[in-house]
Amino acid sequence: MATRCLVFLVGLLAGFHLWAAPMPMMDHGRMRMDMSGRMVMGQNTDRLPPGCRRISEEVEITVKAGHKYARPFPGTMFGYSDHEWRVEPCAKVTVTLVNEDQVRHQWMLHDLPEEVYPRGMFHLEVTGPGEVTGTFIAPAEDRTYLVHCDIPQHTEKGMKAQLVVGKGSGVLPGIPGISEPAVKYDAARPKGADLVDAAAGSETERDRNPFLSGMLVLGIVLAIVGAPYFLRWLGERFFGMTGRELNAYLFERIMALACQGIAVFRSLWQRLRPGSA
Amino acid sequence: MQRRGKIYGAVGILLFCAVLDVAADIPPPSVSEVGKSAKEPFCPPERPAEWRDAQKIDGVEIQEERVCLPDNPYAVAAFVKGTNNVSMPTLMKTRLAADSIIKRNDRDGDGDPDEIIIKLEVAELNGASPDTTEPVHTFAIAPGIRPAFWVFAPKVRGMATKDEHSTEANPLLRVPSPVIRVEQGDTVRIVLENTHYFPHTIHLHGVDHPFVDAKGEGNDGVPQTSEGFILPGGKRVYEITPRQPGTMIYHCHVQTHTHLAMGLIGMFVVEENRPDNWVQTFNVGAGKVRHPSRAVLERYDQEYDLQYQAVDKELHEIVQSSNDPRVIARRMNREYDLTDATEDYFLLNGRSFPYTLRESLIVVEPDQNVKLRMLNAQGELLAVHTHGHKATITHYDGIEVNPAAQITRDIFDMAPAQRLDLKLTTTNDGLHNYGPGIWVFHDHVERGITTDGMNPGGNISAIVYKSYLGADDVPKLQGIDLSRYFDTAFYRRQMPVWQDIDEWDSLGDPDARQAEAAESADGETRKRSPLRHLLLGLLLGFLAYILFTNRERGRELFCQYVLGRK
Repeated sequence: MATRCLVFLVGLLAGFHLWAAPMPMMDHGRMRMDMSGRMVMGQNTDRLPPGCRRISEEVEITVKAGHKYARPFPGTMFGYSDHEWRVEPCAKVTVTLVNEDQVRHQWMLHDLPEEVYPRGMFHLEVTGPGEVTGTFIAPAEDRTYLVHCDIPQHTEKGMKAQLVVGKGSGVLPGIPGISEPAVKYDAARPKGADLVDAAAGSETERDRNPFLSGMLVLGIVLAIVGAPYFLRWLGERFFGMTGRELNAYLFERIMALACQGIAVFRSLWQRLRPGSA
Repeated sequence: MQRRGKIYGAVGILLFCAVLDVAADIPPPSVSEVGKSAKEPFCPPERPAEWRDAQKIDGVEIQEERVCLPDNPYAVAAFVKGTNNVSMPTLMKTRLAADSIIKRNDRDGDGDPDEIIIKLEVAELNGASPDTTEPVHTFAIAPGIRPAFWVFAPKVRGMATKDEHSTEANPLLRVPSPVIRVEQGDTVRIVLENTHYFPHTIHLHGVDHPFVDAKGEGNDGVPQTSEGFILPGGKRVYEITPRQPGTMIYHCHVQTHTHLAMGLIGMFVVEENRPDNWVQTFNVGAGKVRHPSRAVLERYDQEYDLQYQAVDKELHEIVQSSNDPRVIARRMNREYDLTDATEDYFLLNGRSFPYTLRESLIVVEPDQNVKLRMLNAQGELLAVHTHGHKATITHYDGIEVNPAAQITRDIFDMAPAQRLDLKLTTTNDGLHNYGPGIWVFHDHVERGITTDGMNPGGNISAIVYKSYLGADDVPKLQGIDLSRYFDTAFYRRQMPVWQDIDEWDSLGDPDARQAEAAESADGETRKRSPLRHLLLGLLLGFLAYILFTNRERGRELFCQYVLGRK
């Protein structure tokens, strides 16, 4: 403890004179931070996530971040040098984030098991130019995790990537160079409000019943299966007939009705047919 | 032959189905398109009530702030001491970056630091996202109203949202851009780290600053005359040693006609030099200054910063209309025409009524002197009226008026970018004050008391005497129930302003009953719809069974009547 305090004080003193010089990071539980704002959250080199018996592999990732990495993806403004990483379940992953801009950037991973990662997060943050390194152990399940920079509009304008653990769980939307965004903005449409309205419109469209809804099909199936029983019950209870007789009787009635309908239709047709008068 | 019978049967069934289904699918009477109303409490339990109390954190005296949503006192302590001097547990209770505010080097030995580094970032609120059509990093100015904003913000760390489950912006990222306070004679470096996707700069309007810095680089923030743009991902340091005190401004000078209105403007206060004078570097969200400077405390009991702002919703919608910065730039710089624009929303310290009542109340006691610093950051004239009080204008644009010539009045007219320092006295003498109460203050250019034309809204807030504060520091209002204004339906114009004004709703909506009936009918159809489908299916299935089991007889009949054979 005493040595840690000493290191802290020395670091603080050094900081006053050499502002940008690297300093030892102060340790606050699972969060480490230095006075230049360099941060590692959820650092984990040894605690195995649930379902992991041992570390499966050791992986080292270096990712560069900055405005210039947006260049290959027109319409974005910030970017990472890579947008996808693949690791085995239970891999020990050491990530170095190299920030080449002069502002903050982050490499943030969410939805990790909360038993091991406070708030389910592993997070690197550094103001450029500079770099920061941290380590975490990947969970045991096959899953695709979102990696992003959570500074307003950085995720939205290009700093979005995915970490595929094992076989992953699909591809996330809107990863530059990998997948299309979930929402497409119409370049010709002048207002966002219209876009929202369009979405609301499609919602009501979905609400409307399609020709064969689930309930309709269920009804048909139930009726076909249940019809003989229903006819028998109906016939014996009310008509003094067997089910088969009732069935034939109903058929005759329906046919008679249909024939009458056809007859009416035909006579009308003959009368109103052009030239018949 | 048999096959033909089957085909006729099938066609018949399908026709029958189609007729029935069309009948079932007549669309319900269209009710208004917008979503259901959502009511909010006056004071949501978002922040600990003990944050409102007067307290001392890390040796920093923090005045009480008796409103529903007070400032985080730990952040105030960090703003006063600097993130480099404040204790680590205090810093951890804020979302500030460790290098956000650096204070050091007491050059004159008077007990306060004279070298200050202030780091600012640019945050977009209610912006677009490729993942959702809803705005992200949300900040509501009134129930259900979330126009996009750009703001300068203290340099923060970690997530930009309130927490990992929320889309609401971190409380340090908000409108207005924070008030910055420095001491006269301090050497101040303002570091703008441009985290936004457009170029920006800072112009220190009214603050004593040299045209070029020590290195000969531009210091005036004007891209055409003093320096280039600060590009996305870039930064610039503005260096000043202001010799004169006063209430000034800082704002972006890139495409000023739109960037200023988008929110890149804040107050910049240079406090008079005094010994042991640790000033509160940021006042996030403006409003009450919880650690006033020495010079202010010599003459005043309290101090408030009041920033008036306005929003043309067509301008602020542009950034929500696309996720492509090139498209946003085209729409904002070339398609948007400010000379055809009108302002729709009117904000006091980033919010409109009724949200102003949660955080922008001026809470006073009798016989106090209160310093108000006002900035008109709107595009047009402002005329603030204080009910129950006549205040004295002590400073115009940061410069003191000769005390003998100071004017006491009840309307404070301000041109765009103008500042007024007011002395509000709560002495009940029939001139300065007419006694305790809940006295509103608001713009008297009447559109300013509306939210897109809906009144009450806009920049209405109140001077509240402590004796009129009730439980949970909610003012003891004596008029009508305010809950209707905390309903998103009100500002969507879906609710009569005078609904239920008396027992039989004599000024309610003439169509209200029909609309209600239509709504309930619509509700019932929706509820009944699955059951109807089931019944229809049962009927169809039964018919199909009968037709199918009697197909032999059907063919006989068919041959007999249609084809005339036995």
